[in-house]
Amino acid sequence: MQEASPAQVHAPPTSFLRKHVFSLDHKVIGLQYYGLALAAVTLGMVLSWLMRFHLVWPTVAVPGLSLISKVGAPGGIITPEYYLSLLTMHGTLMVFFVLTNAPFAAFGNFFLPIQIGAEDMAFPRFNMMSFWTTLAAFLVLITAFFIPDGPPISGWTAYAPLSAIGSDAGPGLGWGQTLWAISIALFCAGSLLGALNFISTTLDLRAKGMTLMRMPICTWAWFITSCIALLAFAVLLPACLLLILDRTAGTSFFIPSGLVVSDRLQPHAGGSPLLWQHLFWFFGHPEVYIAILPSMGIVSHVLMASMRKPLLSAKVIIYSMLSIGFLSWMVWGHHMFVSGMNPFSSLVFSFPTLTITIPATIMTLIWLGSLYGANIRMTSASLFSLGFISMFVSGGVSGFFLAQPSIDIYLHATYFVVGHFHMVMGVASIFGVFAGTYFWFGKMTGRMLNETLGKVHFWITFIGTYCIFMPFHYLGLVGNIRRYSTFVDDFMGPLMPLHKFITIAALITGAGQLIFLFNLFHSRFWGKPAPQNPWDGTSLEWSIPSPPPWNNFGDVHPVVYHDSYQYGVKGSKGDYVMQDSPEQVVGG
Amino acid sequence: MSESQVAVHGHGAMMEASPYAIPSRKLTMWLFIISDAVTFGACLMAYGYLRTASTDWPTPFKFYPSILNVIIMTFVLITSSLTMLGAVDAAKLGDKAKTTRFMWSTIFLGALFAGLHLREWLGLIGEGVRPFHNPWGSPLFGATFFSITGLHLLHVVSGVIALFVIWRGYTRGTLTAGHVETTGLYWHFVDLVWMFVVPMVYLLSIQR
Amino acid sequence: MAEKIVTDKASVTAPSTSGNVIAKYLPVYFALLAIAGLEIFLAYRNFSILTLMVILLVLAICGAALAVMYFMHLAQERPSLFLSLIPATIFVLFMMNAIWTDSFRLLHMKPFAH
Repeated sequence: MQEASPAQVHAPPTSFLRKHVFSLDHKVIGLQYYGLALAAVTLGMVLSWLMRFHLVWPTVAVPGLSLISKVGAPGGIITPEYYLSLLTMHGTLMVFFVLTNAPFAAFGNFFLPIQIGAEDMAFPRFNMMSFWTTLAAFLVLITAFFIPDGPPISGWTAYAPLSAIGSDAGPGLGWGQTLWAISIALFCAGSLLGALNFISTTLDLRAKGMTLMRMPICTWAWFITSCIALLAFAVLLPACLLLILDRTAGTSFFIPSGLVVSDRLQPHAGGSPLLWQHLFWFFGHPEVYIAILPSMGIVSHVLMASMRKPLLSAKVIIYSMLSIGFLSWMVWGHHMFVSGMNPFSSLVFSFPTLTITIPATIMTLIWLGSLYGANIRMTSASLFSLGFISMFVSGGVSGFFLAQPSIDIYLHATYFVVGHFHMVMGVASIFGVFAGTYFWFGKMTGRMLNETLGKVHFWITFIGTYCIFMPFHYLGLVGNIRRYSTFVDDFMGPLMPLHKFITIAALITGAGQLIFLFNLFHSRFWGKPAPQNPWDGTSLEWSIPSPPPWNNFGDVHPVVYHDSYQYGVKGSKGDYVMQDSPEQVVGG
Repeated sequence: MSESQVAVHGHGAMMEASPYAIPSRKLTMWLFIISDAVTFGACLMAYGYLRTASTDWPTPFKFYPSILNVIIMTFVLITSSLTMLGAVDAAKLGDKAKTTRFMWSTIFLGALFAGLHLREWLGLIGEGVRPFHNPWGSPLFGATFFSITGLHLLHVVSGVIALFVIWRGYTRGTLTAGHVETTGLYWHFVDLVWMFVVPMVYLLSIQR
Repeated sequence: MAEKIVTDKASVTAPSTSGNVIAKYLPVYFALLAIAGLEIFLAYRNFSILTLMVILLVLAICGAALAVMYFMHLAQERPSLFLSLIPATIFVLFMMNAIWTDSFRLLHMKPFAH
C-alpha cells in the first residue's frame, strides 16, 4: 500500500481468482452485483408466481413444492402461514437484493468510475468486501428456506412484536426470523461500505475538467443515492441489532408488557412495537428513493441518447433529485398512519409527503417536455425508458391519495397500496434496470443484446405490468385486504375472476422475462460484437473499448471539455460531441 | 489523450482537485464518522423513547463505585485523545520513536478504559442486572445499558486493535502518517460518543 | 503517477508542527475535562429530570463541538467540509425527533405498567 495515489491503484489481475472471484476491479464487482440481483429477482419472481397461483387455485397442488417444505406445503398445497413466508421472502429479496443492488450497486459500480474518468473506485478492497458481505447476507437469507421451521412470516417490514417474540408467534419466527435479521444487518454493513466508496470516488477521482456539474445525470443519481444510503442504513443497522437482541438475549425493546401469544404470557415487559416501526421506516422511506433515484438517472441518460437532444434542463433534474434526497427524511411516518401513531404526527408527515411529489412532478414534466419534437430512436433501451416514465406516473398518482391520512386509513393494508408501490417503486425501478441493461450490455460484455427480442420483451412486460397492477388499485378500493392467502369462502368471492385474470397476466409476464434471460445468456456468447459507441453517446464510457480494459482508460488520462450531453450539435462525429473531445461547440 | 498532450493543453494535474483538499482516506473516515454518529444517535433516541414511555425506570448508579468509575473512565479517554494528537503530530514529522511512544500510550489508555468498563459491567451483573431483568424496575434498563455501552465498548476495542495494526504498519514503513491521522479521527470520535453516553446513560440515572 | 504523489502529499493537512503539540491542545483538553466535571456536579443538584437532561445535552454538544473542531481538526479544514458533513448529520438526527410524540403518549396508554 502506498501513500502515492488517492486511488489505491492495483496491478492488473493475473490469477483466475483475482480476475473473476475476489476481484478488485469495479467492473467485475458490478457484474457480480448484477448476477446476484439476477439470481434474487428470479427467485423473487418464482415466489410471486407461487403466491398468485395459490390465491386463485388454493386447492391445486404445486408439483415439487412439498420437497422444499413438508410443513409449509404438505402435498404441494401452500398453508396460509407458508403463504406469508413466501410473501416475506419475496419482499425482502426484491427490495434489498434487487431494487437496491441492481440499479445502484451493479450499474453504479460498473459505470460510476468510468463516467467520471477514474481508473477504479477509491477503495477497491472495500468494494470487494461490500460485495462479499452482500452475498453473505443473501446466502444467510436463503438459508431460511431450508431450515425445518421455514422462512419468517412477518413481511419484509418485520413488524414487531410478531418479529420479536420468537417461535411462539408462528412458524418461521424462530430461527427463520433470526436469520432474516442477521441477513439484513449484514446487508446494511455491505451497503454502508459501498456508499462510502461511491461518495469518495465521485468527489475525489474525477478526471481533469469533470466538474461536478459536468457529471452525467446518472452519476449524480448514484452519488445522491449513496449519500442517502450512508445515513439510512446507519439507522436500520442498530434496529436490526436490537431486534436480534430481543430474539436471542431476552431483551424487550420492541415487545410490550403482558403480551399473551399462543396462550403463553411472554416473558417481556416495557418495550414498544411502535419504536421498531419508527426505526424501520426512518430507514424505509429513504430506501424507496435509494431504489428509484438510480433508475431516474439511468433513464435520463438513456433518453438523451435516444432523443438526440439534451433534456430541457439537466440542472433542474439534479436539483430535483437533491431535494428528493432532502425531503426523504421527513416523510417516513406516512407508512404509519394506522399504526397507532399520534394522529397529530400524521398531519405533520402528510405535508412533506405531498411536497415531495413536487420535485417528482418537475422531473416528469422535464422528461415529457423534452420528448416534445424529438426525433426519438426507438431502441429497446429507449422503450424501457419511456415505460419507466409511464409506470412512474401511473404508480405515482395513487401516492397523492395515500399521502392523506383520512384516505389512507381506508386504503391502508389493501391491494391499493400493493399496486401503488409495485408500480412506482418496484416495476418503475426495474424498468430503469432493463433500460440500463439494453443500453450498456454491449459495454459491459462486449456483445450487443438482440434488439428484436428486446422489443418483444418490452411490450410483454409493459402490457403485462399494467394488467397485473392496475386491477390491484380497484381491488384495494373495494376493500380487498393484502396478505390474505385465500378469498374463496368470504365476501371477496365475487372478486375471484379479477384475481384469476391477474394471476394469468402474472404468469404470462413472468414467462416473458424468460425471453430476457435467454437474450442475456445467448447474446453474452453469440451476440453481435459491440462497437465502442453503438448509441452515439457522449459520456466517457463510450470513449473506451467494449468491454473496457482492466484499468478502463489504458494509460491515458481522459480530459473533459464539455458537460455530458452535447447532443443535437454540429460535431466532427455527427450530431454530437464527446465529453472528452476538445472541439468547440457552437452555441453549446 | 496522453500525458504529453495534457501538458500541451496546459493541464497540470491529471485529475480535478478534491473539493475538500483532503485525501480520500480521510474523507471516507469522516463519512464513516457521520454515519456512525447517526447509528449512535438512533440508539440513544431509542433509549430515550423507551425511558420516556416507562413509569418504573430505575436510577441505580451510586457515586461509588459507578460514578467514580465513570469519572476515571472519562479522564482516561479524554487523555487518550490528547496522546493520539501527539501521535498524529509526531507521525507527520516522521519521528518514529515519538510516534511509538504516543501510540502506545493511547493503546494503553484505550485498553485501560475497556478494562474499567468491564469492571463496571461485572459490578452491575453482580448486582443482578441482566439484559432482560434487574432488581429495580423496567427490564429495559439493562437492555439499553448493555447495548449502548456495549456498542461503544466494541468501538473502543476495535479502535485499540486498529491502533496496534496501524502502529505496526507505520513503524515498518508499510503505512503512512496519513493512516495514523485517519485512525486518530476515529479515536476522537469514540471519545466524542462517550461524551454523550456519560450524561444520557449514567448521569440521568444517579441514585439520590 | 508521479504528479499524484505530489498532490496527495501536499493535501495532507499539516497543522503547525512547531513546538509541543500537546501544549497547544491543552486548553481544549482542560475545557473538555471541565465540561465533564461540570456535568457530574450538576447531576447532583436537584434539577428536574427534564431540566437536567437539557442542561447535560447542551454541555455534551459543546464538548462534542470542541472535539470535532479542534481534536478532529475540522476547524482547520476547508469550510466546505464542515458544511457538507455537519448540517446533514444534524438534520437527520433532528428529523428523528419526530418519534417523541409517540413515546409521551405511550405513557398514558400503557395498561400494564403498575
